[in-house]
Amino acid sequence: MTQTTDPVANASTDAVLRVAGLTKRFGATLALDRAELELRPGTVHALVGGNGCGKSTTIKVLAGVHRADAGRIEVADQGWEAGHYDAKAGRAAGLRFVHQDLGLFPELSIAENFALDAGYPTGPGRRVRWGALQRRVAQLLAAYEIDADPRTPVAALRPAQRTLVAICRALQDSEADRQLVLVLDEPTATLPQHESAVLLDAVRRRADLGQTVLMVSHRMPEVLAVCDDFTVFRDGRTVAALVGRRPTERELVGHMTGTAPADAVDGGTTPAVPAHDADVVLAVHGLHGGPLRGVDLEVRRGEVVGVAGLVGSGRSSLLRTVFGEHAPGAGTVTVRGSGGAVAAVGGVRARMDAGVALVPEDRAGEAAFPELTIRDNLSAPVLRRYRRLRGMDRRRERADAAALVARYGVRTPSADAPLASLSGGNQQKVVLARWLQRDPALLLLDEPTQGVDVMSRADIYRTVREAAAGGCAVLVASSDLLELSTLCDRVLVLQDGRVAAEATGAQLTPDSLTALTQSSAGAPAGEPLGAPR
Amino acid sequence: MSLTDTPPLSSAAAGSAAPEERAAAPAPGRGAHGGVKGLFERHALLLLLVAVAVFFSVLPASADVFPTQENLSVLLGDRATVALLALSVILPLVCGYFDFSLGAIAATSSVLTAGLMSFHDLPLGLAMTAGIGVGVLVGAVNGLLVTRFGLNAFVTTLGMATLLGGLVQWYTGGQTILLGLDPRLAEFGSTTLLGIPQVVYVVAVVAALLWYLLAQTPFGRSLYAIGSNPRSAALVGIRVQRSVWSTFVLAGGIAGLVGVLSLARAGSATADPGTGLLFPALAAAFLGATAVRPGFFNVVGTLIGVLFVSVSVSGLTLAGADTWASPVFNGAALLVAVGLSSYLGRSRGVRTV
Ligand SMILES: Nc1ncnc2c1ncn2[C@@H]1O[C@H](COP(=O)(O)OP(=O)(O)OP(=O)(O)O)[C@@H](O)[C@H]1O
Ligand SMILES: [Mg+2]
Repeated sequence: MTQTTDPVANASTDAVLRVAGLTKRFGATLALDRAELELRPGTVHALVGGNGCGKSTTIKVLAGVHRADAGRIEVADQGWEAGHYDAKAGRAAGLRFVHQDLGLFPELSIAENFALDAGYPTGPGRRVRWGALQRRVAQLLAAYEIDADPRTPVAALRPAQRTLVAICRALQDSEADRQLVLVLDEPTATLPQHESAVLLDAVRRRADLGQTVLMVSHRMPEVLAVCDDFTVFRDGRTVAALVGRRPTERELVGHMTGTAPADAVDGGTTPAVPAHDADVVLAVHGLHGGPLRGVDLEVRRGEVVGVAGLVGSGRSSLLRTVFGEHAPGAGTVTVRGSGGAVAAVGGVRARMDAGVALVPEDRAGEAAFPELTIRDNLSAPVLRRYRRLRGMDRRRERADAAALVARYGVRTPSADAPLASLSGGNQQKVVLARWLQRDPALLLLDEPTQGVDVMSRADIYRTVREAAAGGCAVLVASSDLLELSTLCDRVLVLQDGRVAAEATGAQLTPDSLTALTQSSAGAPAGEPLGAPR
Repeated sequence: MSLTDTPPLSSAAAGSAAPEERAAAPAPGRGAHGGVKGLFERHALLLLLVAVAVFFSVLPASADVFPTQENLSVLLGDRATVALLALSVILPLVCGYFDFSLGAIAATSSVLTAGLMSFHDLPLGLAMTAGIGVGVLVGAVNGLLVTRFGLNAFVTTLGMATLLGGLVQWYTGGQTILLGLDPRLAEFGSTTLLGIPQVVYVVAVVAALLWYLLAQTPFGRSLYAIGSNPRSAALVGIRVQRSVWSTFVLAGGIAGLVGVLSLARAGSATADPGTGLLFPALAAAFLGATAVRPGFFNVVGTLIGVLFVSVSVSGLTLAGADTWASPVFNGAALLVAVGLSSYLGRSRGVRTV
């Protein structure tokens, strides 16, 4: 508790949520070390810090998922020793949580999702009064400026709308005389940029009407634009509480790292100009399938090519088809991989043998083995490396895992810990390390830095550039246009399943990429959505 | 721990100290839970087994018979089939699939092996091959239905078990097949080698092979990956469907072998649906998943589980408990084991149930 505004001085009695001395230990890991947090009513409060610094743990303690070892929690005028605090107390005191998976039932209508949370209004004979339910939900949606019919299934909503519905549902029992506190853990991590802008606008408007919000995010421009107060965690400790003033990104990052901020925080790489006669590693011609309607593209050795596009434009489908997960409906995908291996047909295995690697978009659903150890997660695609007649070479496997954990800065006491015990950003680093260790000839990255903190993001960019400098061809799909402009040599814009534009050189700025992605696409509202999960 | 969130690469030293300490620790197959608590958790079942064995060795009612070499020999011989069946059960379970038909496969194999010798005068070798072969075949069909056609494994194998039970009834006409069996089989089942029944050696060999397969080959390791998250497994290049199918086939084959062994042990084949064998096997498998590598089905744990159930039941019987004590104990053990593994929170449970 050193820098800047002294939080104690601001400990005005009207704080709606105050956390003091919060301590939580997981085995050898001290996840929270006397953390402090204080929310003023009617503000949007950002909780920021590096991966594994204890942000989610704080939220889980407040939600009653974990019980803290020590500390004090005060909500409005009630207070608990952390050992006596539980989920029910938090709810009764007015804390409401929207977790990253939102907890919505996609096939059910918005109204039913509301009712499952708060109960169905019933008439005589316990008959559900659908009319009353729909009227009430319609009012709530209108109040939150969500433009949707209560009968719409949640799956048909745009991503930002889905999050808003979850928020609206969480706050549905809000009353005029009672202040609820809304807690959001990385609400925008999986949202494309324009969707998260929509969401944050809405959150901001709620705050202007008096709603108190606590949110976690790794996207600095976002929190800087929307938040009033900032609390920075480092290693489970509160290192700064900035009340009522907007710091600069450098200042925030400086608090997170504890060092004087360097300039090279977001990437700082000058894209290497690839030799033009370099071999074409990936050639895609007339590719159809799913949302793709004739994609043509080439990626050469040493080149980092970005793929931008709106939700539903087919970015992920493109990467998955190249990886051999989907067979193309028409067209060809040719990979000229390591050692001249050519893969034109075949599934994932054949592509992997040719040196293709895919870091998928949905980490929890498609990349993680949560119960298995970090080591198991790392060695999954390279198991054959460790095969010997006398059994798996565990010594080597352990050494490799330890080296990768160190190299990618995964915050864990041991590579033998289950993956699920890692913080979100650290899990993402494990998945990246899993594939980068193979020295791929073609690296396919789908939203590679979701949930990764600002500092590690720069390191990941550097690692990807290094791989490219070593001859790897990289294809990155991302909705973070700043990421694409920092990382890529050129960016392709997908639209209606085709490559509609290409940005190079001076066009590689977030602004011109935004213009290219949005142009002629019209309103994204009518877009087909990504496959609902 | 004061690991910092410092950027990687540049400051690897801070983050690497702990992992390297661990990497040097020569304890293969260790779970993530170091410390005394983890150690206790991994060996709790073994300690319990020892405790139960000691208890019945000193309990006056059973102390005369229980700790004798003869009793142990009978106990091992009698439980060899359950042990082998439990080993077959864990194969699909590792991938997250339940095979409910393995008991019925064993019964079918036993009846077929006996019937081929008794009704059709086939030689022993051919009859045994047919018994094991039918297990492989049924396993292949189960696997195909579950992987290729995406049917629910629990319901599919339950249906298969019922069907096989019916076929057994039809084939035997409800009679026990006793006559016309090759005497060498019963002799193998009733003799001992170095004081241990010969069937136990068969179990030991199969267990060793399975342990190697599951713990020491890329194939076995990828089965655990499938069990954890099949979507992720497919995206790291594991052939999920084929692997799952193989576990059903392998499990079917081992269950077929169980049939042959139980024929050797009993000297006759009864028209029995095989569930009597399956439930203790399941109990052992789930108990085993709380030991050695807690949260995961594993070979050594399963064997300890079988021994625990067998020793307890044998002790109870010798101490004068009624016949109902054994199923009650098996059931209770199964419930406790399932409860324990979900309490530990690390077993994902079985997806298909
Ligand atoms: N269930 C658990 N078991 C063991 N360790 C845990 C568990 N949950 C969290 N941890 C550890 O506690 C620390 C804090 O984790 P937490 O999830 O709070 O980080 P975070 O700030 O949310 O990070 P991120 O930005 O990556 O999401 C990490 O070192 C993490 O590995
Ligand atoms: Mg987190």
